[in-house]
Amino acid sequence: MTALQFTLYVPGDSWVHRLDPVSKMLITVVGLACTFLLPGHLAPALLLAASLALLATAGVLRRTAAVFAGVALIAVTFFVVQGLVYAGNETPALALGPLTFYREGLLLGLRLTLRLYNILASSLILILTTRPSDLVESLMRRGLPARFGYVIIAVLQIIPTMVEASNRITDAQRSRGMETEGSLWVRLRAFIPLMGPLVTSSLIATEERALALEVRGFASNRRPTFLNEESIPGYAWPVRIAALAVLLLGIAGRVVLS
Amino acid sequence: MAAQQKNVWAFRFTTLSLVLIPVAVGINYVGKLFAAALKLPLWLDSIGTVLAGMLAGPWIGAISGAVNNIIFGITADPVSFWYLITSIVIGLVVGYLAMTGWIRDFGRAVLLGLIVALAAAVVSTPINVILWEGTTSNVWGDALYTILRDQGTPVWIASFIDELVVDLLDKVATVIVSFLIFKALPQRLTGLFAGQDQVEKL
Repeated sequence: MTALQFTLYVPGDSWVHRLDPVSKMLITVVGLACTFLLPGHLAPALLLAASLALLATAGVLRRTAAVFAGVALIAVTFFVVQGLVYAGNETPALALGPLTFYREGLLLGLRLTLRLYNILASSLILILTTRPSDLVESLMRRGLPARFGYVIIAVLQIIPTMVEASNRITDAQRSRGMETEGSLWVRLRAFIPLMGPLVTSSLIATEERALALEVRGFASNRRPTFLNEESIPGYAWPVRIAALAVLLLGIAGRVVLS
Repeated sequence: MAAQQKNVWAFRFTTLSLVLIPVAVGINYVGKLFAAALKLPLWLDSIGTVLAGMLAGPWIGAISGAVNNIIFGITADPVSFWYLITSIVIGLVVGYLAMTGWIRDFGRAVLLGLIVALAAAVVSTPINVILWEGTTSNVWGDALYTILRDQGTPVWIASFIDELVVDLLDKVATVIVSFLIFKALPQRLTGLFAGQDQVEKL
């Protein structure tokens, strides 16, 4: 079992990477709002093109393409399912053997596919260009409780450790003769001896970690200070205003087009 | 569990229970990895949330579920963010029922799994309908959805059944696995999280 790539973040130095996490969150939220505001097919397609252009200037198109390809099967099911059984189906468009695909359903499939990819593209603007811990730190500066911030940052650190531990446990159990291949029942039974030691050992470790944290003043109610200084580039405000303008444009588009 | 019935809904945000949350999310993640490595036809990706509910009650269970989907939403899978409420409900339901005696024996644990599956499907269905017109992106469930819709079943019911068949096996298996692990944990550990504040006496 290999440790999967856990975060999608792509390190870089583009203008999007240097933008502060809050501005990027605003862009993402505006993108998601427009995804649901814009009617029809053309407007969502233009939105997708705009997000992709932004991702291209950030130099993260390759990772974007990988994520997009990963959900291609979902897009296919949209076309198949809605093309066959959408309630508004009237005009036959395509017949494959006993199956008839209808125009209205296929168009709905296209709309859902655009929605899926718009949700992904908008989110990826934030996700691919922001180190998760930077995002959490930036939110903590703006009032996210420090304990909650700790919880999220701790997850990011604990997962690679636990994946490593799970590899060790797999090796140990295999050397004791546990079967990990064969019938479904054999594989299902192997799950408990793999999971059990991992859960027990990581729960025992929590007690130690809790003590270590309390010794270092974790339960204190004083406002924490930050190790790194926050850097907000000069173009952050123009970008934020532009994002809000796009949101207004989206609302106007909704009113005019529908 | 204990002779005296505690208030199940009391907040107990001790350092220990907060430290449990990242571990729960980690267990969710590793559970998914193990299930994939063993090529099981299940996700088993909420064992940590369920265990957190069993160990520390509904609130910690719910927060573990929420943090789980927020983390994967901002790191690995943006779509998971939208199913935040499903994870929260799983943590709440397991936490509440576990504290009120639903994990006393195996039979009840199976029943608890069914309840969790039902609750998860009820909460996920509106999300599926709003986002994707009712499909779940699971090939088998969606095939069933297509057949049901073809026979004139309303979108909401077809979508609910689609989600339920996908969730049923997975959630029952998740709760059973969590139950077996929970029962095998040393009592000192389970007592620790349940907030038994009394000092140990020698």
